[in-house]
Amino acid sequence: MTTTTQTQAAAPSPVLTFLKKPLLVALILIAALLLLGEALSPGFASGQQILRLLIVAALLGIVAAGQNLVILGGREGIDLSVGGVVSLSAIIGGNLMNGADAGILPAILGCIAAGAVIGLFNGLGVTLLRIPPLVMTLGMLGVLQGLLVVIRNGIPSGRAAPGLSQFVTQPFLLGLPGIIWLWVAIGLLLAFMLGRTVFGHRIYAIGSNEQAAFMAGVPVKRTRIALFMLSGAFAAVAGMCLIGYSGSSFANVGEQYMLPSIIAVVFGGTPLSGGKGGYTGTMAGAVLLVVLQSILTTVHIDESGRQMVFGATLLILMLFYGRGRAMRA
Amino acid sequence: MSKLIMRGVSKAYGATLALRRGDLTVEAGEVHVLIGSNGSGKSTLCKVLAGSVRPDNGEILIDGKPVTISGPHAARASGIGIFYQELSLAGHRTVAENICLPDMPGGIFVDRAALENRAQRYIALFDTVSGEGFAAEAVVENLRADQRQLVEIMKALATEAPITIFDEPTSALDRAQVDRFFEILRDLKAEGRSIIFISHRMDEIFAIGDRVTVIRDGETVGTENIADTNPGAVIRLMVGGQDELAPGASAPPATAATRNGAVLTVANFSGKGFANVGFEVAKGEILGFGGLHGQGQSAVLRAIFGANPSSGGALALSGSAFVPSDPRAAIRRGLAYVSGDRSRDGVISGRPILENVTPIHYLKQKLFLARPSALAERVKPALEALHTKFAGLGHPINSLSGGNQQKIVIARWLIDRPDVLLLDDPTKGIDLSAKADLFALIRKLAAEGMGIVLYSSEDAELLNNADRILVFNGGQVRRELTGADRTRYNLYQAAYEAA
Repeated sequence: MTTTTQTQAAAPSPVLTFLKKPLLVALILIAALLLLGEALSPGFASGQQILRLLIVAALLGIVAAGQNLVILGGREGIDLSVGGVVSLSAIIGGNLMNGADAGILPAILGCIAAGAVIGLFNGLGVTLLRIPPLVMTLGMLGVLQGLLVVIRNGIPSGRAAPGLSQFVTQPFLLGLPGIIWLWVAIGLLLAFMLGRTVFGHRIYAIGSNEQAAFMAGVPVKRTRIALFMLSGAFAAVAGMCLIGYSGSSFANVGEQYMLPSIIAVVFGGTPLSGGKGGYTGTMAGAVLLVVLQSILTTVHIDESGRQMVFGATLLILMLFYGRGRAMRA
Repeated sequence: MSKLIMRGVSKAYGATLALRRGDLTVEAGEVHVLIGSNGSGKSTLCKVLAGSVRPDNGEILIDGKPVTISGPHAARASGIGIFYQELSLAGHRTVAENICLPDMPGGIFVDRAALENRAQRYIALFDTVSGEGFAAEAVVENLRADQRQLVEIMKALATEAPITIFDEPTSALDRAQVDRFFEILRDLKAEGRSIIFISHRMDEIFAIGDRVTVIRDGETVGTENIADTNPGAVIRLMVGGQDELAPGASAPPATAATRNGAVLTVANFSGKGFANVGFEVAKGEILGFGGLHGQGQSAVLRAIFGANPSSGGALALSGSAFVPSDPRAAIRRGLAYVSGDRSRDGVISGRPILENVTPIHYLKQKLFLARPSALAERVKPALEALHTKFAGLGHPINSLSGGNQQKIVIARWLIDRPDVLLLDDPTKGIDLSAKADLFALIRKLAAEGMGIVLYSSEDAELLNNADRILVFNGGQVRRELTGADRTRYNLYQAAYEAA
């Protein structure tokens, strides 16, 4: 048995090939969908249009960053409350800014703090009370939705500061708006964190084998709580950017992000069982989903139809990538 | 005609021959004791009879007729009932339901009245000793450990099988409960039923047994009448010709002079599965934990490391007090622990070899940035010293064989040396050459001043490598073997001593 297993080791690392494949698949699909869109409706793949798609993808991608971290941490990790955090953040941010640039900094700090606190509650529930993440974050989503109704009392409130709208929609550097650069920065930051910091290695360790990580001195609970807090913070940042994109917040703006954020992660090569994958693939997954959504809109499929397509996409993805758990045994 | 005859039964797991030639003859109306050291094959023989393992060779005759036991169901049909040593009860169900579980009365719907009725017969047997709160409608998980074990016994009795296997049925029972249980066994004998009895308490074996069959190294080496033998003779049969002194024994053992100060002191240490354990480990000493499987050796090691909770006791590391809380705290204080259950406790599966080696270093050095390239230089010599075969540190650990995986897990402790290394059956399931590499390393680490505690379920490993051996039985240290006393005979005698 020794000899056969060692000849396998000489081949290129299966983890690397596995990681590279979903990214490649996503990029090819993006190109194919853009060509399809252009054929269906000339102008679909114009520079201006692609830029708009990238802005929308950045919003989704920032939410998916937190989702990605929670899923990487394993033990059925998932954050269903991200949509609620996005909505809440948009409202808090809108009210703190109320159309004035001077309010941007307090709004950013306030939103991130609120998102992190929600994530803290999620993390404490999952680690200390041992509530399954699915149940914990779904419950949190319910609480947030109720909270939104109470705060807004049915009346739209809050406006984006002009500076923020400019940051999200107007060219900032090399013709790209600030939000794209922010997204790229987050991508680089996460790549560094996951690959080069002890914290990043601990995320993979608890996602791969929590018990072994515990025995090797990894602070399992603290790490997992941090992941949920990061997820809340990233969703809050996305909520802020969202209000900059749309100008004002409207009912449950964030709801549309829950399912796509999960699909983007799985598309990007991080299995729902956690422990492997990374954020680069997720970024490609986010772009892919936004292009897909845009094509569906172009061919006049309404919101309910798009939801069905997304749900089906996740299920099909599970067929291909969902075997991560079985393979670990 | 004998009730049960097993002849030449063998079973191999891969390359390991667990049972070479198992013979067992059980008469109607006798209590037949089965005895053998760790890994002798006695549990494999029982599993064959219970239908949970299919034998490779051999024949089984019941009432003179050859039978094939293809599964647990077939075992029941052939008239074999089993008491399971590890609790197999449904915790949320009542005592009555658990007792009748193997054979529920009624058709599609359970006949509650018949169920209560039948259960009550067995509950009544232990009425005088079952203690407070024990009743047909009591929920099993609310019962004490001894009461749960009584439910297990009743469940085995309720099968009313002509042949019943009891695998360590008395481990949690008190004296009165054991006495009552033995009375019931004698009644069963009088009815002509056959009992196969496994116990690690020599006094019980001699109190209840009629005959004893000894298994050594996968072979039945003899069957004796209990009345014609004595504990010493039974142990000699278990030891066979292997009772030469352990090779290391001729070398001067770690004496008081070389034992310059205890690195680990444990006093009155108690927890789940062990009680009042006390010992000292000196710098440079290899202290062995011996005895039969699951007598608390592993539980003690895990509790010291903080992986399992402990309920009381005083620990000290190089003289300063230490309270175990979690592995993280233990590692910081200079403890190291290597589990035999690699896939559960050791290997961070799917991750690169290097990431499997570095966590301890990061923790001890309080690092923020991972420094793979700098560490790779320090890891390589450690792995090479262990003769670890790997293609590159970036390859996933799963690409290695079991022995090499275990070497990686051990290597994670070698970058920043611990003061005390706790080894919990570290060679389980790894190949011979890896074992040899491992013990050479352990010897070297001890020579360099590390204190080492070694629990091994292989007696030869202990006898060959430990300077001293503490023999565990029933969660307590029964005996300490030093110097020339470190023999198989003494090890077995202490392991089977009355608790």
